[in-house]
Amino acid sequence: MGGRSTGLVGAADTPPEATAVVTGEAVAARVRDTLEDVFDTVAETRVDIVALLEGVSVGEHGPVTADLAALRPGLHARLAARALVSGVGFVTAPGLLTDVPAWLEWWQAGTDGTVRPLLLDLDPEHSAYSDYTHWDWFTLPRDTGQRAVAGPYVDYLCSDEYSLTLSAPVTVGGRFAGVAAADVYLRHFEAAVMPLLKRLPGSAHLVNARGRVAASTDPHHLVGSLTKGPDFAALVAGPSEPGRFGGLRVYRCDGVPLVLLVSDD
Amino acid sequence: MNPVRRDEKGAGGARRAVFTPVDTRARVDAVVRRLGDAIELGLLSDGEQLPGESELAAQLGVSTVTLREALMALRQRGLVTTRRGRGGGSFVTLPEGPAEDRLFARLTDWSTEELRDLGDHWAAVSGAAAWLAAQRTDIGDLRQLIRSVDELAQADDPTARSRVYGRFHVELAAAAQSPRLTREEVALQTEVGALLCLVLTDTSYLKEVTDRHRAVISAVQDEAEDRARSLAERCVQASMTRLIELRLGATSAAHGPGPEEGTHGRQEYRSRRRSGHPA
Repeated sequence: MGGRSTGLVGAADTPPEATAVVTGEAVAARVRDTLEDVFDTVAETRVDIVALLEGVSVGEHGPVTADLAALRPGLHARLAARALVSGVGFVTAPGLLTDVPAWLEWWQAGTDGTVRPLLLDLDPEHSAYSDYTHWDWFTLPRDTGQRAVAGPYVDYLCSDEYSLTLSAPVTVGGRFAGVAAADVYLRHFEAAVMPLLKRLPGSAHLVNARGRVAASTDPHHLVGSLTKGPDFAALVAGPSEPGRFGGLRVYRCDGVPLVLLVSDD
Repeated sequence: MNPVRRDEKGAGGARRAVFTPVDTRARVDAVVRRLGDAIELGLLSDGEQLPGESELAAQLGVSTVTLREALMALRQRGLVTTRRGRGGGSFVTLPEGPAEDRLFARLTDWSTEELRDLGDHWAAVSGAAAWLAAQRTDIGDLRQLIRSVDELAQADDPTARSRVYGRFHVELAAAAQSPRLTREEVALQTEVGALLCLVLTDTSYLKEVTDRHRAVISAVQDEAEDRARSLAERCVQASMTRLIELRLGATSAAHGPGPEEGTHGRQEYRSRRRSGHPA
């Protein structure tokens, strides 16, 4: 490998030197930017939901599922605008809507560029999967009041894909109304971040706050496996000073709960 | 192939239906059988939306008129629900709480060799899932498994028990971080789910099943992958052995153990609309 470049300025378009060596800080920043872009989708959806719910008469007449149809143009546009996002929508807190016990206004991108609604059987008498309130993408924003990254996990509820789900709590009038969320399939995430990881001088892997590998150039740390190491949850919450753990350099992806681990050459 | 074009709908279409080939009735039956079998066998899953009428008609190579008649027959059998308006369409509906004699009829469709092979397949998938899960499970996955066993212990009818039993194995595969094993478990459950109801009527056996599943969780939690695998395999094998015992009994007696829910046979179908979609 040649000389070490100082960063990745301008790399958002076409990387000038796809093989140039980059720093851990630069890669962590790009990973953060990649997910922040998805979080923008979540935030836009959240704004639409709040505006919608505040405009709907709360009480015996609403809100109802039909009201949520007003979210669709925005959801469809966001699916079309961001290739990384494969599903987006609003997962209601049970009891929010007056006509149904629970509801997902959820749209997914098809392989052919079409969008389609997710239609789940939410009848507890009938489906073992009707209660979605235990999934991390729901409980994390609900319990912390903060946006969250759930996964990597096998999403057998919505997509059957190995996924990351980014979500944010929706609060209206001080009451938790549900979560705005977006799905990123892990194979797409990998395609987005692997070119960066490969430009690091050592093998690298990205882990979530539980140490689960989300992307890796290290065959000894495969995607989906757990990395034993420092307290990643504390690292994610703490300062972004790069540190060391064993033979690994540790970088925090400021603002998103992922940690980059790079081995020494 | 068929003189009625796909885009002919409404009153005009109904009139032209008079001039469709005389084997239309047979075509309706064929479509009913095709879709009905797919639903009963779980190839089409519960709640799944069927393609739009014209698309489905084209795929099956029949006119929309024929398709509508078939859908009507399927609705009458409770296998399809049609919702109007936005987000509407035709949806697969599995019959609720299949009556025990209906399940026994399903069981006798399986030879003991086929049941043994199904059990081998299921044990292989769940065993591998448990082995991987023990190496890859975090606290979030464990919580889901624990919740399912707790629900299994409390479920008060065999159908609910069977659903949660199946969900546990799907969650185990998800805890293994394997979409392929998860899909495999989901597919296996469509085959084995209805049959499992038969062995889950017995509350003393339910206790055994619950204990076996708790043992799997403990092994996964302890990161004891070999123990997790063998416990998961034995869990599946024990259920399949009971099913085969029932199957062997079912060939000599008209019924195995006394039916718990009466024998309404194939007529007992769910007519209630699913929540979330008032008529």
